[in-house]
Amino acid sequence: MLEALARWPARGIPDRPGAWLLTTARHKAIDRLRRDQRYAAKVAQLAALPESAEREPDDRLRLMFTCCHPALERDAQVALTLRAVVGLTTGEIARAFLIPEPTLAKRLTRAKQKITTARIPYRTPEPGELAQRLDPVLRVIYLVFNEGYLATAGERSLRRELADDAEWLAGMLVRWLPDQPEPLGLLALIRLHLARWDARLDGNGNLVLLADQDRGRWDQVRIRSGVALIERAAAMGRLGPFQVEAAITALHDEAPSWEATDWPQLLQLYTLLEGVDPSPVVKLNRAIVVAEVAGPAEGLARVEALADELGRYYLFHATRAALLRRLGRDEDAHRADAQALGGTQNPAERALIQRRLASPEPHPGARDGRADL
Amino acid sequence: MRYILLLTRGEWQESGTPQEQGEVFGRIGEWFAKLRADGTITEAQQLQAPGTATTVVLDHGASTLIDRPLLEAKEAIGGYAVIDVPDLDAALVVARSFPVPDGKVEVRPAVER
Repeated sequence: MLEALARWPARGIPDRPGAWLLTTARHKAIDRLRRDQRYAAKVAQLAALPESAEREPDDRLRLMFTCCHPALERDAQVALTLRAVVGLTTGEIARAFLIPEPTLAKRLTRAKQKITTARIPYRTPEPGELAQRLDPVLRVIYLVFNEGYLATAGERSLRRELADDAEWLAGMLVRWLPDQPEPLGLLALIRLHLARWDARLDGNGNLVLLADQDRGRWDQVRIRSGVALIERAAAMGRLGPFQVEAAITALHDEAPSWEATDWPQLLQLYTLLEGVDPSPVVKLNRAIVVAEVAGPAEGLARVEALADELGRYYLFHATRAALLRRLGRDEDAHRADAQALGGTQNPAERALIQRRLASPEPHPGARDGRADL
Repeated sequence: MRYILLLTRGEWQESGTPQEQGEVFGRIGEWFAKLRADGTITEAQQLQAPGTATTVVLDHGASTLIDRPLLEAKEAIGGYAVIDVPDLDAALVVARSFPVPDGKVEVRPAVER
């Protein structure tokens, strides 16, 4: 399995590395111009320094590690990071996570008080502490990205500025810790998802499933950059969940079509991911791949085995619905979709499920319940 | 900055053989001696077994006694130490180094006056 991961990126090496590096740099320069004023100064600072020399962490990095201190609970870490590092308002964060604003305000106040009163230090961790301190930061950056990629709720389904912030934060981590493979994996994962951004909504603002996306609109520069990052990480020989997840995303990004996706390879990567992150959600995604390799009946059996753990998760029901439909069990599929609808507040996802519920014919691309695998 | 480490009694204090318990207490003794010597621990006490505790409940001038400790047996405090370290990270390093097979250490900052 490890061998599979080490071998496959070779196919992704760009033909003209110099050229795409320049293009990437130009894209990044444009990104920076577009970026909110509050980062302008910091970004200029970072841009002025050669990558390898940027070992001195800046204030945002210190702030990030303070907000994600393991002495704070996970929800508080995310809320604090969104407030203090990303700069969202309390109202915006409360809406994003579907909690009343006073509840969130209380959570933020308690966390800030604890930082001051218990004297949680305002610093980046020493090398010896990284094993414990890096993981929460990576997870929180990924959560920020996910919130931008597919918002939990609110009027806007996709929030590009949050996704860009997450990419920027991951890039900052990589600059500070160039010898750590997981930040590279996270940055690769984010880039490889951002590459599909333009193809994810149709002209009417409807969410397009991965299977149905116009792959010609995918950003090849970002894909190559993401693949190069995975290669750098893989060369360090320390596998982690973000690297594997990035590799999975890269495999999709490099496939010419859904049908031509290298499903057996993908299954191997999911097996690898399950080994480092045996969460039910990973098992659910692996089941989707099983359905492609071994057929929908086999996939459905794997999905239904997760009912106890994921019965309250809308994507469990949406995935079940898609597989049931492929098996011709339309009534069961309908019921499962209705359950899925009850579980998401994202307007684009709701619209997608509602379209599926409304049409007597199976949605052509509804092989899985997710906008992206 | 001063932090108080509240040390719970672990399962090992209920289930271990006298010899095993003796070994753990030996390590705890060395830990206290070392941290007192380098000035990290400024004060510490080991408490008698929870069965010896009396809890006084105060209620607007009245008081009643309860013949048991404040916290449930499995969370019962077995001792405490006051440490003087720069920040929470340093306090957590000390707490993590407490040499018992199992148990909990609550780390609470002291009010500075």
